[in-house]
Amino acid sequence: MSSPSFSLPASGRVGKAIEYLQDLWRRREFAMALGLGNLKARNASTSLGLFWWVLNPLLLGGVYFLVFGLFFQRQEPTNFLVYLLSGMFPFHFTSQSMTGGANSIIQNAKLLANLRFPRLLLPISAMIEALVGFLASLVVLVLIILIAGTVSGENYFTFRLAYLPLIIPIHLVFNIGLGAMTARLAVPFRDINNLLPYVNRIWLYLTPIIWPLELLDGVSPFLQSLVRLNPMFDIVGLYRSALLGTPLVLDHVVGALIWASVIGVVGVAVFVRHEGHIVRYL
Amino acid sequence: MSRPAILVENVGVRFRPYVDRKPTLRRSVANMRTRQVDEVVALDNVTFRVEKGEAFGIIGRNGAGKSTLLRVMARTLKPNTGKVVVNGRASTLLQLGVGFNPELSGSRNIYLGGLAAGLRRADVDQIFDDVVEYAGLGHAIDRPVKTYSSGMFSRLAFSVSMHLNPDILLLDEVLAVGDAEFRDKSLRTMKDLLERAGTIVFVSHSMSQVADFCNRVLWLQEGRVRLIGEAEKVVDEYQQNSTADRHAS
Repeated sequence: MSSPSFSLPASGRVGKAIEYLQDLWRRREFAMALGLGNLKARNASTSLGLFWWVLNPLLLGGVYFLVFGLFFQRQEPTNFLVYLLSGMFPFHFTSQSMTGGANSIIQNAKLLANLRFPRLLLPISAMIEALVGFLASLVVLVLIILIAGTVSGENYFTFRLAYLPLIIPIHLVFNIGLGAMTARLAVPFRDINNLLPYVNRIWLYLTPIIWPLELLDGVSPFLQSLVRLNPMFDIVGLYRSALLGTPLVLDHVVGALIWASVIGVVGVAVFVRHEGHIVRYL
Repeated sequence: MSRPAILVENVGVRFRPYVDRKPTLRRSVANMRTRQVDEVVALDNVTFRVEKGEAFGIIGRNGAGKSTLLRVMARTLKPNTGKVVVNGRASTLLQLGVGFNPELSGSRNIYLGGLAAGLRRADVDQIFDDVVEYAGLGHAIDRPVKTYSSGMFSRLAFSVSMHLNPDILLLDEVLAVGDAEFRDKSLRTMKDLLERAGTIVFVSHSMSQVADFCNRVLWLQEGRVRLIGEAEKVVDEYQQNSTADRHAS
């Protein structure tokens, strides 16, 4: 086998981690083929395929827009619509990563039982699939915001749109960590995907997506700081800055970076530590 | 003595309770309360070595631990005790069509299967035409695999596995593949592999195939090595033992 000649023999925890990552990198083509293959298979087996990535957050957003935007009118409808959708689409990426991570273990029992490969490859291939879907949906979201801006005369797009290529990788690392955690949980709890939609729904309600940020001003400082602890609070905040042209809040930048690194590292660590036992549970 | 292809030393594998039932939230909570820990011993202190260039058979009744042993050798299952050393590139054929996605075409699945088995895309490019020809599926190669008959599926899957060029091939009862013609073809391919000093470990219930094909055979009984030695001798013993059992009951 061709292993790079400059690699030193692995020793200790750090050496093992490096060896694991090298192994993972060597298998990157497989991870890509698996993720994109699943995407293509879904496209072939459902009539709308990739379009569901746009439709899901759009329909969910549409429902909340009707309820909160039109019935309890708080502000300009177009403003609320873009506010809502710019949070809903990134949130959908995270919730899809969580179910995708769990599914990657549940649906690939045959691979796990038969072949030797770094197991993290499975949740990562699910993330590749989710990322492609998210990027496609983002194109549509940008178009929607553009149209809404023309209708209402607001100018949402500024130079801040250029933040997106920096925000997405941070978000991706966060999602990889979460997906690895749900994948780890799916090993003993195969029915986790019955629970996840509810977790996601509650998380959505706790994040300022369907309710406006100003709502926070009225509550106790304790409740406020609790809401601000939510990682999606920071991540959605970053997306809003890029997509709606609001100034970047330093708290969101720091918060998102900390959350992404903590969840990324912890998620991957809890998954990898247990991966030798996965086959025992299949 | 040269390095063996596979060295299995004092391997023990235990499974959690309810091997026939998948763990769920409810059961885990229930187990936490009752602290159930009874385990099923699948393999108990198994030791043997497989030399390079050998065709090594594993026989035993259902539930004797044969498939578990293959998984340990494939190193997809970590044993609770003991160790396994594998020298060379092992390819596993424990199940057919591993890594395949039935929604995608045969050609795409050749790539998926190859990449899953550890090849790079460039390697698959190289073997692609041979795999297609060996499988002999004609234009069906461009159709989704879900439209294949089970025989066609097996031919494609087997063809991919045969072109992975392994040093060590682990096979689980997959020779009963396709029609008689394809079966002969696959036996020939395996003999070729042996001639190239490759190693084959072969689990089967067909005693004639095992006696024909293997040099040495391991007889597993309830997770332990009952007998290990020259193929014909072990197969004879095994067959006498099972007829004796049948008369006794």
